[in-house]
Amino acid sequence: MDNLMKAEWFKLKKDRSLWTLIIILTAVSLSYPLLIVFDDGADSIKVMDFYQNTILQGNNYVIRLVPCILAGFLISSEYSIGTMKTIAASGNSRFHLYFAKLIIYSIGTVLISLIFPVIFTGAASVALNFNGMPEFGYFIGTIGLTILYAIAFASMMALFATIFTDSGKAIGFMLIFFIIFDSALYLLSSVSPIFEVIFNYSVFKLFLDIVNYDTIHSAEMVKLIAVPVITFTAFGILGSILFYKKEIK
Amino acid sequence: MSDYVLKTSNLTKQFKNQIAINKVNLSIKKGSIYGFIGANGAGKSTLIRMVTGLASPTSGSIELLGHSNSQELVKARKRIGTIIEGPALYPHMTAAENLEAHRLLKGIPGKDCVERTLAIVGLQQTGKKKAKNFSLGMKQRLGIGIALLGDPEFLILDEPINGLDPMGVVEIRELLKKLNQEYGMTILISSHILSELHLLATHYGIIHQGDLLEQITVDELNEKCQQYLHIKVNNPEMAATVIETMLSTNNFEVMPDGCIKLYHYVDTPGKVSTALVNEGLVIEQFMPMGQDLESYFMNRIGGMQNG
Repeated sequence: MDNLMKAEWFKLKKDRSLWTLIIILTAVSLSYPLLIVFDDGADSIKVMDFYQNTILQGNNYVIRLVPCILAGFLISSEYSIGTMKTIAASGNSRFHLYFAKLIIYSIGTVLISLIFPVIFTGAASVALNFNGMPEFGYFIGTIGLTILYAIAFASMMALFATIFTDSGKAIGFMLIFFIIFDSALYLLSSVSPIFEVIFNYSVFKLFLDIVNYDTIHSAEMVKLIAVPVITFTAFGILGSILFYKKEIK
Repeated sequence: MSDYVLKTSNLTKQFKNQIAINKVNLSIKKGSIYGFIGANGAGKSTLIRMVTGLASPTSGSIELLGHSNSQELVKARKRIGTIIEGPALYPHMTAAENLEAHRLLKGIPGKDCVERTLAIVGLQQTGKKKAKNFSLGMKQRLGIGIALLGDPEFLILDEPINGLDPMGVVEIRELLKKLNQEYGMTILISSHILSELHLLATHYGIIHQGDLLEQITVDELNEKCQQYLHIKVNNPEMAATVIETMLSTNNFEVMPDGCIKLYHYVDTPGKVSTALVNEGLVIEQFMPMGQDLESYFMNRIGGMQNG
């Protein structure tokens, strides 16, 4: 397993899509605060408000959509360029192969998901003269939850990327799925109690509560932490079973 | 220890209503170069995909390097190198980076094997050139390099010389011969280029429409493909006597239809015809005959069929 993680890490470091996404998100993180300052002035906005309303809200889209592109290039393309054949024939168990790829892909997703909360917040803090900074505990808490939800979404994306085996199709499907699925689930929840329960306990709904980290009571917090962990575990196992049974073409 | 690196027993693969591989009993001896011959869709790649674990058999069993249960088979695959349906490379990586990714995957300690493998396949000068910019020959050689990482005991090469120029074909042939003779690697090579296989393989397996029609050694094949003079005369018994006495050879056969197959004097047929005519025999048919691997294969699968 150790060698598989090293191999996947090596490929992640060489993946141009990851670096392109990191550069774009970093460029947005560094340039957007300047626009705010030019438009509204440095002292008119508190960093905490900016962090909650712009950075974390914006990161909702980043976490749900941007890693789809990485999944397409890092996972699905292994099938389309044929390297998955060599990997699957390398004498390693399919479960180990899948989890090594999932773990390293999740790390890539976490890197992407932290650019806004870390770099954007840093740049905004400087641009807004550190006016009304978020509490350290609140900041760390939201970062921790962001990481948890990023890996939960990553486990779902890894599963889809394994099913589709073509980077273009995988990216296209996932972008559409992650744009409309929560709305579809929300609509279904209004007509069926079962879907309401599913929606309320889904990462799609709970993910939006990260911003309320400071006001959530302990029972809700357990739910907020447990759901992404269970999602990651469930989709990880589901994906590994699918990969185990998959005929590699 | 088994003398065979690969044995399959009644190996079958069925896709819905179509049987792709039908009860194949294939055996590959340690140290051999096994030429796997078959038309497009005959089942070569399907069988290779089952051996390498990319597809699971519908029924039957596989014994690879002496191991046959499923967990041992997975481990045994660490001791093989593969190219399946062409070289699989990361296009945005250099040759060295491609090898490094696979070195890590196989858990081979030390980076020196990367340089050594680049030298073996003649790609040490490629530097920072990305694999996507390689010629097809370079890609094939890099694919073989990846298969060679970890000094496998058994190489499985599916169409490794497809698309290569004549120089590339010769280079790969010499490389595979060297790996077989100097390092004792057993090689399974499937190819459409039968003339090339004939220069390389020590054993052959012919597959057609999922059935393994025949397994044959190179000596047996050469015997079957031996060149001879096909002679038909008005008096076969007398012709046989003339050949024995005048031409001093008994390396011939009189066939039930009276035709004679003479395995000597193929390069000097004039001596034979002169001897027969001088003894008053009337020659009705007289021609050199024989088969190469291609015609043998075509005859074996029953003409110009395409599976």
